[in-house]
Amino acid sequence: MSKIEEALEKARARESTRSQNSTLEPGMQLRAVPDMDEHDFEAHVAAGKQIARMNEPWQHSRKELAESGVIYPGMEDIRVANAFRELRTKILQTTRGKNCSILVTSTSKSAGCSFVARNLAVAFSFDESKTALLVDCNLANPSHHELIPPDITLGLTDYLRSDDLNIEQIIHPAGIQRLRLIPVGGRLDITAEYFTSLKMKRLLKNIKERYMDRYVIVDAPPIMHSPDARILAEVCDYAILVVPYGKATEAQVLKASRDIGAHKLIGIVFNNEPQMPSISWLRKMMGGLNQVASKKSRSSRPSEGKS
Amino acid sequence: MQINLEQFLRVLAGETFKYRNLAVGIFIFINLFAVIVGLMWPKTYTSSSTVFVEEKNIIQPLMQGAAVATTVTDRTRIAKEIIFGRKIMNQVIEDAGWLQNGLTGIEKEKLIDALKSRTTILSVGNNLIKIEYKDEDPARAFKTAQKYTELFISESLGTQTQEGQAAFEFIDSQVKEYHEKLSSAEQQLKEFRSVNVDARPGTEAEVAGRINALQATIEKTSLAIKEARIKQGSLEKQLSGEAEVAVTATREGQYIMRIGELQSQLDTLRLTYLDTYPDIVRIKHQIEDIQENIAQEKRKREAGREMAKSGGQVVVDESTRMNPLYQQLKQQLFETKTEIETLTTRLAETNQLLRVETGRARRIHAGEASLAELTRDYEVNRDIYHDLLKRRENARVSRNLNRDKQGLTLRVHEPAFLPLQPSGARFMYFVIGGLLLGFIAPPALIYGLQKADPRIRYSLLISDRLNLPVLAEVPHLMTPGEMATISRSARMHLIFIFTTLGFVLAISFFRLVGVM
Repeated sequence: MSKIEEALEKARARESTRSQNSTLEPGMQLRAVPDMDEHDFEAHVAAGKQIARMNEPWQHSRKELAESGVIYPGMEDIRVANAFRELRTKILQTTRGKNCSILVTSTSKSAGCSFVARNLAVAFSFDESKTALLVDCNLANPSHHELIPPDITLGLTDYLRSDDLNIEQIIHPAGIQRLRLIPVGGRLDITAEYFTSLKMKRLLKNIKERYMDRYVIVDAPPIMHSPDARILAEVCDYAILVVPYGKATEAQVLKASRDIGAHKLIGIVFNNEPQMPSISWLRKMMGGLNQVASKKSRSSRPSEGKS
Repeated sequence: MQINLEQFLRVLAGETFKYRNLAVGIFIFINLFAVIVGLMWPKTYTSSSTVFVEEKNIIQPLMQGAAVATTVTDRTRIAKEIIFGRKIMNQVIEDAGWLQNGLTGIEKEKLIDALKSRTTILSVGNNLIKIEYKDEDPARAFKTAQKYTELFISESLGTQTQEGQAAFEFIDSQVKEYHEKLSSAEQQLKEFRSVNVDARPGTEAEVAGRINALQATIEKTSLAIKEARIKQGSLEKQLSGEAEVAVTATREGQYIMRIGELQSQLDTLRLTYLDTYPDIVRIKHQIEDIQENIAQEKRKREAGREMAKSGGQVVVDESTRMNPLYQQLKQQLFETKTEIETLTTRLAETNQLLRVETGRARRIHAGEASLAELTRDYEVNRDIYHDLLKRRENARVSRNLNRDKQGLTLRVHEPAFLPLQPSGARFMYFVIGGLLLGFIAPPALIYGLQKADPRIRYSLLISDRLNLPVLAEVPHLMTPGEMATISRSARMHLIFIFTTLGFVLAISFFRLVGVM
C-alpha cells in the first residue's frame, strides 16, 4: 500500500467517524444506488442466464438446513421465512433492485446476527433471478463455515493475508441454490485494519460487480464490542442492525445506530421474538402423543398375546 | 406509543412459553398449596340472629309531642357497645360454657378478645341488627349467638326503662326544688307588701300627680297673698287721705256770711257818703240785728248742750256728719286683711301636705326597687316551675311507655340457629382459587418482570421512540433438536398439569363425599 493511499484512507476514516459521531440528523438521507437503465436491464437478463448455468455440486438436505437454523421454502413454521422475505423486499425497495453489499451487525453478542445474515442471504437466494454471497467477517465467532464441508478451509482471512489467492478460490458453494459463501478462513490472527485495506475494498467491489444480481451480505461482529463492524460499515453500501428481543435497552440501540451512521443504516431487525409454537406444530406434537399412545397399546397387545 | 392488545398478548404468551418450566412449576405449587391450605383450614360454623328494632308503633303518633320515645341512632354502634361491654361478655362466657375453672384474669381477657374477634355485628337494612358468631363447634356457635341476642335485648330494654325512670326522677326532684324556691319568693313578696303598703303598682304615679297638684296650689296661693298685700297697702294709703267727719253749713254760719256782705256794702257806701247817709245808717242797723241773732243762736245751742249733759245724751252736733267714702274704704281694708290671713293659713297647710307627700314618694321609690327584684325572682321561678311541671308529665308518660315496653322495642326477628354446614372459606373456594391463580399467576409474574425490565420487548418502541425504521420482526426459529426438547418437555408439563388437576379433583371429591 502506497503512502498516498494510506493518507487517503486516513482522511476518509476521519470523515466517516465524524459523521458517525454526529446524531441522526433528519436531513441525512440514505445514499441511493443509481437507477437501472436499459443497459442494466439487458445485463440482468444475461445474468439470469448465467445464474441458471450455476452449477451446484452438492445440496444440503432439509433436515440439515433445519438443524443449522436456515430457512428453506416449504418449511412448516413459515413465520420466520416470511419475516426474512419481508426483510429482503424492504431492502430491495431501498436499493431499487440494484445489487449491493449489506452489512449485518448487532447491538450485542448472541443477538442472532449471524442467523439474520445467513437467512437474509438465503432469502435473497430464494429468488431465482438473484444470487447471494455471504461473507463471514465475524472473526471472534465465525459460524458460517458449518454450512460447507470441513475440508474447505480457505476463506477471507487467507485471502487478505496472502497475495497468491484468487477470489474464486475463497468463494464456495454453500449447499443452497444460488448461495455462495466466503468463510472466515484459517488465519484468525489478523487485525481489524485489514478490513479497511484496499484489498478488502477491492474484494467487495469485485464480488459485488462480478454479477449484476449478486447481493453481498457481510456478517459483522456486534458494533458495541469491537471496531470491526464500524470499519466494515465504511466499505459496505448499507447496514442493518439486529436488535435482540429483551436484551437491548433503548440507549444501546440508539448508540449502535449512531455508530453505524444514518447514511448507511437501512433499519432495524428485531430478532428472536419468543412465541408460542405454531398451531400446525402443536397438532403434529399432539399427533406424536397419539402415536406414542397407540404404539404403547400396540406393543402391549402382542405381549399379552405371547403370554 | 400505543401497544395494541394483540401484540401485548403475543409477547406475553411467547414469553410465558419461553419460561414454561417456571410457569408449570408455579401452577403446580399454587394448586398444591391451595389444596393443602384448604385441607388445613379450620371449619367454622356461623350462627346468627337478627334483632328487629321497632321504631314506629301505635302509641307514637298518639303521644307525639307529649313523650319522647327513645330513638336509636346508629343502632349498630350502640349494639356493639352494649354487646362488647364487660357485663354481657362475662355473662356470655359463663352461660355459653366457656368459663372453665382456674382461668386467670389474663386468660379470661384473651378469651373475651377472641370472642370479640369472632363476633360480627352489622346492620342489615334500616331497622335490623344482625349478630353473627363464628366457631369451630356448631353447638357452641349457636349457643353463643343465642346468648348474645338474649342479653342484648334484655340489657337494652333495661337500659331504656332505667333511662326513663332516671329522667323522670331527675325532673321530679327539680320540680320539687323549684316549688320550694317559688314558695319562698311568694312569701318574701307577701312580707314586703305587708310592710310597704304603698308599694303597689301605680302608686308612684299617683303620688307624683298629687305633689304636682299641691305645688300648683302653693304657687296660686302665694300669688293671691301677694295680690291681697298690695291691695291692703293701697287701701291704707287712701284711708290716710280721707277725713273721718264732714262739716256742714249752719245758721250761725249764714249770719256771719251776711254780716260779711253787709260790711262790704257799708265799706263801699262810706267811700262816697257820710255816716249820716240813710243807707249807711240802715246797714248799721241791719248788722246789729244779725249780730243779735247770732248771739241768740249761741245761747240756744249752749242751752241744748247743758240739757244734753244733764240728761246723759250724746249730743249730735247739727253741724257735723260721718264721711261715707271713708266708711267704704275702711270696710274694704278689713276685708282684704281677712283674705290675707285666710290665704296664709292655706299656704301653710298646703306646704305641710306637700312635705307629707314628698316623704311618701321617697318611701315608694325605695320600695319599688326591692319589689321589682322580688317580683322578678318570683316570675322566673314561676316560669321554670311551670315548664318543669309540663316536662315531668312528659317524662312520666315516657317512663310509663318504656315500662310497659311500648317505646323503642327490640324483638328477635330471626332467632339464632344451629349451623349444620360450615361457613366461611370453604374447601372448594381454595381449590377454585388455586386453579385460577395457578393459571393467572405465571403470566402476571412475567408481565411484572417485563414491566420492571427496561430492555426492549416491543419493536414498536424502536420505531416510535427512537424513530428508527424496523424492517422486520423475526420470530424465534426452532431447530428440530429444540422442537424435540420442547415436545418432550411439553409432554412432561402436560403430564404434570393433568396429574395435579387429577390430584386436586380427587381430593375435592373425597372432601365432598366427606372422607377427609
